[in-house]
Amino acid sequence: MNGQSGADPSENEHRDGRRAGRRGAPVLEACRIGKRFGPVTVLHEVGFQLDAGEVLALVGENGAGKSTLMKIVAGVLGQDEGEVRVDGAPVRFHGVLDAEHAGIAIIHQELNLVQELSVAANIFLGREPKLAGLVIDKRAMVKAAQALLARLGIAIDPEAKAGSLRIGEQQTVEIAKALSLDARALIMDEPTSALSSAECATLFKVIAQLTTAGVAIVYISHRMDEVIALADRVMVLRDGRHVLTAPIAETSRDQIIKAMVGRALAPTARAGVANTNPVMLSVEGLWADVATRHGRKRVIDDITFDVRAGEVFGIAGLLGSGRTEILETIFAASDRLSGGSVRVAGREVAIRDPRAAKALGFAFVPEDRKSKGLLIDMSISANVVLPSLETLSRFSIRTRGRESRTAREAIEALRIRCAGPGQAAKSLSGGNQQKVVMAKWLATRPRILLLDEPTRGIDVGAKQEIYDLVFELAAEGLAIVVVSSELPEVLALADRILVMCEGRSAGILSRQEASEEGVMALASPPARLDPSLGRLSA
Amino acid sequence: MTLWHALSRTKLYWGLIIIFSIGVGFSPVTSRGTNIFLSYGNLTDVLRQVSITGLVAVGMTMVILTGGIDLSVGSVMAFGSVITGMLLTQPGWTPAAIVGAPVLAAVAFVAVAGLVQFVRKQLARQNGVAIGHRAASAPGGITALALPASAGLAAAVLAFWYAAAQVAPKFSVPGVLLVAPAVGLAVGALTGVIIVVGRLQPFIVTLAMMVSTLGIARLTAGQDSAVLPVYPGSNATPDFDLLRSMLWGVLPVPGLFFISAIILFGALLSLTTFGRYVYAIGGNEEATRLSGIGVDRVKIATYAFSGLLACLAGVLYVAQYRQGKPDAGSGLELDAIAAVVIGGTSLMGGRGGLSGTLVGVFIFGLLSDILQLHNINSNLQLVLKGAIIVVTVLVQERNLADIGQRFLFVGTRAGRSGSAVRSDLPPEKQQSII
Repeated sequence: MNGQSGADPSENEHRDGRRAGRRGAPVLEACRIGKRFGPVTVLHEVGFQLDAGEVLALVGENGAGKSTLMKIVAGVLGQDEGEVRVDGAPVRFHGVLDAEHAGIAIIHQELNLVQELSVAANIFLGREPKLAGLVIDKRAMVKAAQALLARLGIAIDPEAKAGSLRIGEQQTVEIAKALSLDARALIMDEPTSALSSAECATLFKVIAQLTTAGVAIVYISHRMDEVIALADRVMVLRDGRHVLTAPIAETSRDQIIKAMVGRALAPTARAGVANTNPVMLSVEGLWADVATRHGRKRVIDDITFDVRAGEVFGIAGLLGSGRTEILETIFAASDRLSGGSVRVAGREVAIRDPRAAKALGFAFVPEDRKSKGLLIDMSISANVVLPSLETLSRFSIRTRGRESRTAREAIEALRIRCAGPGQAAKSLSGGNQQKVVMAKWLATRPRILLLDEPTRGIDVGAKQEIYDLVFELAAEGLAIVVVSSELPEVLALADRILVMCEGRSAGILSRQEASEEGVMALASPPARLDPSLGRLSA
Repeated sequence: MTLWHALSRTKLYWGLIIIFSIGVGFSPVTSRGTNIFLSYGNLTDVLRQVSITGLVAVGMTMVILTGGIDLSVGSVMAFGSVITGMLLTQPGWTPAAIVGAPVLAAVAFVAVAGLVQFVRKQLARQNGVAIGHRAASAPGGITALALPASAGLAAAVLAFWYAAAQVAPKFSVPGVLLVAPAVGLAVGALTGVIIVVGRLQPFIVTLAMMVSTLGIARLTAGQDSAVLPVYPGSNATPDFDLLRSMLWGVLPVPGLFFISAIILFGALLSLTTFGRYVYAIGGNEEATRLSGIGVDRVKIATYAFSGLLACLAGVLYVAQYRQGKPDAGSGLELDAIAAVVIGGTSLMGGRGGLSGTLVGVFIFGLLSDILQLHNINSNLQLVLKGAIIVVTVLVQERNLADIGQRFLFVGTRAGRSGSAVRSDLPPEKQQSII
């Protein structure tokens, strides 16, 4: 009945002396889990087993269903089909708390610390030790937090505010929190995506300690090197289906990638033509500040680049490196204080708000399509015509004929799969929603297209369609800037790549120069987290 | 299931039909057997009575559709009534005239200059490149602004001259009908500007406006004359009585204002880009802004319209009650919000419309009429009003099926799959947390 998972317990028996002698029900088991979001099935009968003290790597492309599966196991989401078992006994979680009681903790990709509270308060949030059952016993709490952090070998002041810590440090606080719950199974969702290499090394040490202590870990990552170095077994999901589970020793990097992608990865790269078109967008010395409580903080500084008509220009970098901020600053999408010069087709422009940007021929497809790109309750048609409504109407009186024609043309041109222009945007799949956002901007006939994570959370097929569309638009002469956290995506799409590191440009690579390793090397900040220099507790 | 579906879809009108039926069924009957509730006089009275709240509710609907709220309408209406009363009865540069004349001129300037600029831009687009391409940008610099500015200035001078000419005698009815809405428009626009520029919550800003406008209305009325009676012999008679008369003996004039506002602003909401932007902002303000839409001006416009309609309601209030009173509008904002919400417009914005507000206003109007016909205690009326709000909103917000399930099957079923039922509780405790 657990055949789907492909993980026959016997195949582990001879592996790894570390876990020898222990056999029984797996700590955590998922059987034939199925999950649908509206019309989209995101998981088809997926399952796995997790034994104490092992690291199971979970890999797959974005939208493959990794995070969804883990959220179900950790009680964040409910499943539509299948069963979760802890120590062999079926359980049904109704929230994270239930899962935590059962000893299963999840560390989300987006960290969930309360920024204004201290480290200790975060660790014991909702379970604070109390004096006489009323007043929070702060001293006991700090002491316990200190002990936990010490166990992880991390020097963080338990009384420091969580918001004042670096991302890597915040992550260790999350781990400490999980430990304080006596978690026996710990799920880590892309824990290293925002970490420097030194911070990664610390994290790996912590993981090793945890497994020695018998904690089972599910490790979600995109990074093959990490997976191969850390994991005992690897499990691959593709389009919500289970494709492979194998001991690391019996598989290879290529095999895993092939299983992930479903084909040998052949980027649909265009021939690297020498682009002699005029420069369409020219950015020089761009900077932006955000207001914090302690004054202003520079998020991007001294960014300079050119994009020619017909060129696809990529921006890569780690989370928080300022990729998105570049696009938002150019488009005036946020109210950050900013400066620097922006030229469009050689003419210096001052862009005060998105309206001005649109009038200059900019289009901006934001990262978060649900909260920033779509009127999610409204129809496809209403969404598609929104930015071009003024041009589609006469004296501000709307002309429904033109509107519906625009919507129908967009649906056809972008192959948006839907019942008709009147269908609500929220009932579409992620890929089709993304196409609606693209369509609404293409209807304005832009000259410069700014794409922020254009394929986030959409399935592989739709992804390929978006890539094709990007190439088509470039061929039509649009200047396109693409920001993506997925390196292979940037490498496949872009003619040149700007690599960001901590708000600054770390270099611009041409397609020929760029490689995954080269970009990562530029994007990684120099190591800074040295425990002896860190904030010392007591 | 189709019947159920049809019921669900038209549920907006069912409340109105039910309350109308109750009115007919329980109406007192005259000795000659006529149903008083159904009598023409009674029904037109209802229309007359709801018109003031109705006008305010029209503006409120637009504000709420953008996801905002306007608590200042009561005070603005009262301010309008004070200005109206004062202009009609007191000659010379009274506080009302000092406020009214320049504001009218300023509003005329902005309106005419804006209109000229708008027409020019539209013409440039029509004559320019084919639709879909970027419109040829209008010529920049000072010359571009010369035409609208001079047109606006001419209008402002004309408006000021028109107002000033009426200061020495007393204001005419058309004069009042121009000045009061202009003042309301200005107050509402100010509210909108504060919300937009200060990035403040509409609730807080309009609350502040509600308080300070009340103060301004009292200051304008003067300390000892908190109420401005509009007495016979002032311009109030007989011209002003037109505003409360029956038009052609058929339609009460306040009702005409209300119905016209519904039609006019209904058309604005459903036919123009402005209307679509109002809904879009309510649906997702950030996405709308990022679509390159001037969200700020749309929001300012909704508050300005709300102020305009509130002050116009103030004029009608004076016609109806023969007095301008700084405290006239207390509780009006809540009545208006209730009518909007009963009409199915979501307080979150983006969903609803004026047809619902029309229904909401009439549900309230018919209810008070029925209760009055039966001489029911007015305090009991308040209780019933509150109950009606809860019941209708419950019906609007939920599926009928959903409600049925919740109320009928609560005892037998633990709830649908996915609802918050905690299996770790004993069954008898599970219902309570559904």
